Amino acid sequence: MAELATTSIPTSVPARFNPWPITIFTILCILAVLFLAPTIGVLLSSIKTTRAIALGDLWSWPDTFYLGNYVEVLSNPSVHRYFLNTLLVTVPATIASTALGVLAGYTFAKLPFRGSNMLFLLIVAGMFFPPQVILVPLFRLFNSVGLIDTLWPIGLVHTALGIPICTLLMRNFFATIPNALREAAILEGANEWQVLTRVALPLSLPALAVLATLQFTWIWNDFLWPLIFTQSDDMRTIMVGIVNLRGQYTVAWGVQGALSLIASLPTLLIFLFFQRYFIKGMTMGAVKG
Amino acid sequence: MAEVTLKNIRKSFGAVEVIKGVDLEIERGEFVVFVGPSGCGKSTMLRMISGLESVTSGSIHIDGADVTHVAPSKRKLAMVFQSYALFPHLTVAENIGFGLMLNKVPKAEIDQRVRKVAQTLQLEALLDRTPRQLSGGQRQRVAIGRSIIRDPRVFLFDEPLSNLDAALRVQMRLEIARLHKELADVTMIYVTHDQVEAMTLADRIVVFNCGRIEQVGTPMELYHNPANTFVAGFIGAPAMNFIDGTVGDGGAIQVGDISLSPATPVIRRGPATVGIRPEHLSLVGSEEADFDARIELVEKLGAETLLYLNTPFSDKPLTARIDGSTAIGEGENVHLKVQPDSIHVFPV
Repeated sequence: MAELATTSIPTSVPARFNPWPITIFTILCILAVLFLAPTIGVLLSSIKTTRAIALGDLWSWPDTFYLGNYVEVLSNPSVHRYFLNTLLVTVPATIASTALGVLAGYTFAKLPFRGSNMLFLLIVAGMFFPPQVILVPLFRLFNSVGLIDTLWPIGLVHTALGIPICTLLMRNFFATIPNALREAAILEGANEWQVLTRVALPLSLPALAVLATLQFTWIWNDFLWPLIFTQSDDMRTIMVGIVNLRGQYTVAWGVQGALSLIASLPTLLIFLFFQRYFIKGMTMGAVKG
Repeated sequence: MAEVTLKNIRKSFGAVEVIKGVDLEIERGEFVVFVGPSGCGKSTMLRMISGLESVTSGSIHIDGADVTHVAPSKRKLAMVFQSYALFPHLTVAENIGFGLMLNKVPKAEIDQRVRKVAQTLQLEALLDRTPRQLSGGQRQRVAIGRSIIRDPRVFLFDEPLSNLDAALRVQMRLEIARLHKELADVTMIYVTHDQVEAMTLADRIVVFNCGRIEQVGTPMELYHNPANTFVAGFIGAPAMNFIDGTVGDGGAIQVGDISLSPATPVIRRGPATVGIRPEHLSLVGSEEADFDARIELVEKLGAETLLYLNTPFSDKPLTARIDGSTAIGEGENVHLKVQPDSIHVFPV
């Protein structure tokens, strides 16, 4: 039987060479190297002594792994404070902007009212404001209410600036959820809040995961607003803190490199945590087909 | 007392009036089917009864109570959607018990009632699956299960079978008919554009056209005594043949050069539209024939054959339904007779 099966296979014609897969692979490799190069540079400098960095090539592999930079960073009480401050800003601002985006997005997608499209466009237009335009007025505003050199302005500004993108993303995602699901839930006795929390949100986990990751990353990595709104070292966030770690006369590349890598860990963890929700097809089977 | 009463219902979307004054009474336990062409307002009417769509004017009464402005969930009705509208993140059991869960019914009671419904609809083996793991027919059964678990007084079906293939549609149609027998006390309102569904399921059919009711009656009433050409053309497949004619003094109908004599002479004199159903035309010998025709096209459907006939008195070909075993071909000349008791005459 095996012989019969073998003999029945027709002689295959040699496939024509397709250059596209190898071209795409090469381009992706080049892009990956370009993206990873700075990280590798920082990683290499973080495991070298300041002297080795000053004397040697930045891109060379170190003779010995020097972990003193990490020890110095992790034992520095200021760094602990930076982390805590960043968390105190990032977590509430991420939750607040996402929650507001969910509420606004649901309203625009499922409960339209007269003028809602215009209002939606106005909110989305907020994305195109360069922060530099509102920087001075915001500083004066928060200064007048005595909030400068506190964490409040950073959280408030990030929440406000996050609303347009959160609203846009959630509105577009909610719009893909069939109206029949909302109507079916309403006929079953659900109020609008229950439709949102029991039907729409569980189906929107992929969008929520993307949004939470983006917001967390943007707020965590922000440098501008903490620099403007905070002055004392006790109120600095991690990105401003990295700059503060430079020496008076020299730049502490190794220490800054170590803190940069440590500072990027939370965003990496957030991504790893949420990536399981980055799935498509959650609404498959809801309606016909 | 009627279970559902519609009083002068009107509905406008902006300046466009889509429901133009509908009055209807539906008795308890009755199976009423709304039929009509696309855009005639039948689905809008159903959505207004459910409360998902507001009423511009008029009132809706369920079990004697005015529910025109009552929330959908308080109207004691359930709805099965064309698209099933199952919650994809929930299992079959959770979908069926969704309404009970919202009403904070104890979990043990929900489990028990879900199992009972699943038993009725043969869904017991599927309770832990999600909708995406089900076939179209199974999904539709889950949607029905979600509706019946709350013991509604009125069941609303919005074209529930239109997404199913032909074989499954027949099977589900039988299941809905069985369900209607089992739930004899529950009033059912069913929207479809498929007249076979309407004829086979309905106790009464309501024919909609352009936001108005054209006729209400039992399937056989609508078939035998259509009120106008719209109903006559809509009910019955293939559609009724319409020919321009004139009613003479003796009550006979003159169509071109031929004269048709209905069993009951027509009282109204003058120009009229004559309606003859394809099944009421039969092939006969030349001496018995009312008229002759030439066969333009033959459609053999197995048990029956449809003939499309060219006649001197009609611009459009007439359709005749004959026995499938009759040997006949295109281009032949045939002699036809009209059943005298099945001639319909409509005023022009």
